[in-house]
Amino acid sequence: MNTYLSPLSRAAGIAGCSLFVLSLTAPLAGTAHATGVLAGTLIENTATATYQTGTTTSSVTSNKVTVKVDELLDVAVSTLSTAPATATSEPAVLIYSVTNSGNGPEAFNLAADPKISGNGFDGTIKSVVLDSNGNGVYDPGVDTVLTSGALATPVLSPDKSVKVFVLVNLPVGATDAQTSQVRLTATAQTGNGTPGTSFAGKGEGGGDAVVGLTTASANSLAALIASLANISLTKSATILDPFGTAKPVPGAVVTYSLAAKVAGSGSLDGLHVTDTIPDGTTYVPGSLKLDSAVLTDGADGDAGVGGTSGIDVTLGKIAGGTTKTVTFSVKIN
Amino acid sequence: MKLSFVVKSLAGAAAMVAMAGPALAAAQSAPSPITLKGDVKLEKTVTENGASKVQLVEPKVVIPGDHLLFTTRYHNDGAQAVTNFVVTNPLPSAVALSSDSAPGTEVSVDGGKTWGQLGTLKVAGTDGAPRAATASDVTHVRWTIPSIAPGASGEVQYHGIVR
Repeated sequence: MNTYLSPLSRAAGIAGCSLFVLSLTAPLAGTAHATGVLAGTLIENTATATYQTGTTTSSVTSNKVTVKVDELLDVAVSTLSTAPATATSEPAVLIYSVTNSGNGPEAFNLAADPKISGNGFDGTIKSVVLDSNGNGVYDPGVDTVLTSGALATPVLSPDKSVKVFVLVNLPVGATDAQTSQVRLTATAQTGNGTPGTSFAGKGEGGGDAVVGLTTASANSLAALIASLANISLTKSATILDPFGTAKPVPGAVVTYSLAAKVAGSGSLDGLHVTDTIPDGTTYVPGSLKLDSAVLTDGADGDAGVGGTSGIDVTLGKIAGGTTKTVTFSVKIN
Repeated sequence: MKLSFVVKSLAGAAAMVAMAGPALAAAQSAPSPITLKGDVKLEKTVTENGASKVQLVEPKVVIPGDHLLFTTRYHNDGAQAVTNFVVTNPLPSAVALSSDSAPGTEVSVDGGKTWGQLGTLKVAGTDGAPRAATASDVTHVRWTIPSIAPGASGEVQYHGIVR
C-alpha cells in the first residue's frame, strides 16, 4: 500500500509545490548567479502568524521589510594564449579575457603595459581590439579597434566576458627568439580601491557601488616572442675556357652562383635575387637556374627572367634555415 | 556558536488558558489582537582592540555575502491569551539561511509543504538522488509558541546570508 501511496503523494506534492514555488523560482532564476544576487534586487521579508484565541483560528501578517542589494564591483582578467604569440614584421596578437565578476552591469577601462620587468625587449602597443564577433580570433577589419583615450570594454552583464586582443609590434633592436610580456589591466569604470570602498548612488538601480575582493581591478600577463630572419647573399664564380681550363679568356664561360641564405626562426617575404651582366660579357641564353632547376629566360610562369639586362629570380617567402641558390652563365666577349 | 533562530519571551507571565465562550468569540471579530512587526539589520563584523565583534547596523549598503538578521516582534494587544501561535517566514529568494542553526526550530526545504529539523530533511541532488538538505536549501522557517498571555510580547529571529 505504502509502495503505491508514496510515489503518488510525492507526485502530488511536486505538482502542488511547483505551483506554489512558481513565484519564487522566477526571481530565483535571476539570482542563481555565480557572482551573487544581482545588483538592484529587492530582498523583501514578510512573516505570517496563525494562532488561536479560544476556538477561533486567526492569522496576521507582518509589515514587509525591504533591503536593496547594492552593486559589487569585481573583475577578472585572464590570458587565453597558452604559448607566446609570435611577432614578426607583423604584430603579435595577445589574447585576454575580461570577465565582469561583480553583480551589476559594468564597463571596464583597459590599459596595456609592455614594460614588464624581465622583458628581453619592450614591445610597442599597436592597438587594443575587442573581439566583436566573439570568435576568439583577431579578424582585421571586423573586430573593433579601440581608440586610444577610450580603451574600455562595453558594458558587461554580470558573469559575462569579452575577449580583448592586444597587438604588439617589435621595437627596433629586438632580436630573433627574444621574449617579452605585456600586462593588460581592466578596472571598473565606476571606481576601484580597497575592498569595501563604496561609491554612493553609483550602483545599479540607484544603490551604492561597493568594491569587492578583486579591488575592482585585475590584470594578466601574456607573452610574445620575436621571430625574425636575416639574409646573406654570397656570390661566387667558376670559369671554363674553351681549352677546358679556368682562364678568363674570350670565349670562356663564367658561371655565377648567388647563394641566398635565410637564418633565424622567422621568414622573409618578397625576396628577389637580381644581378646584372658584367660589361664585356654576354648572357648565355637558357643558363638561369634556381637550385639546379632550369628557369626559362622569358617572363612567364616560372620564377626567373634572364637576358642582356640581367637576371631576376623571385624567391617569395623563405623560411629561416633555408638557402636558395641562383646560377647563371655569361660568355666573355 | 551563533543561534540562527531565537525565540525570546519578553514577558515572563505564564500563559493563561482562556475560556472559550460565545461572548468572547464575538469580541474576537474586532481587529487582530496580535501585531507583528518585521525588522532587518545588517550584521557587521568590526574589530575593536584586536577583538572582532558583530554590530547590528541599518542595512544601508548590502552586497552578496553580507549577513542579515531578520526579526519579527509580536505583541498580544488582546485581553486574552492566544495559543498555538505559529510564525511562518518564507525566506526571500535572494537570502540563504545562515548555516549555523539552532536545534528545535522547524524549517522547510520544499516551499513550506513539509517541515522538520534541517538534519532530517532531504532534497533532490544534482544527480536526482536525494541528498541531505543544507541551510541554503531552506525555503521557509517557522516558530511555534504555545501561548502568549495578554500584553505579552516577544520576538523571533533568523540569520540570513545574501546569496
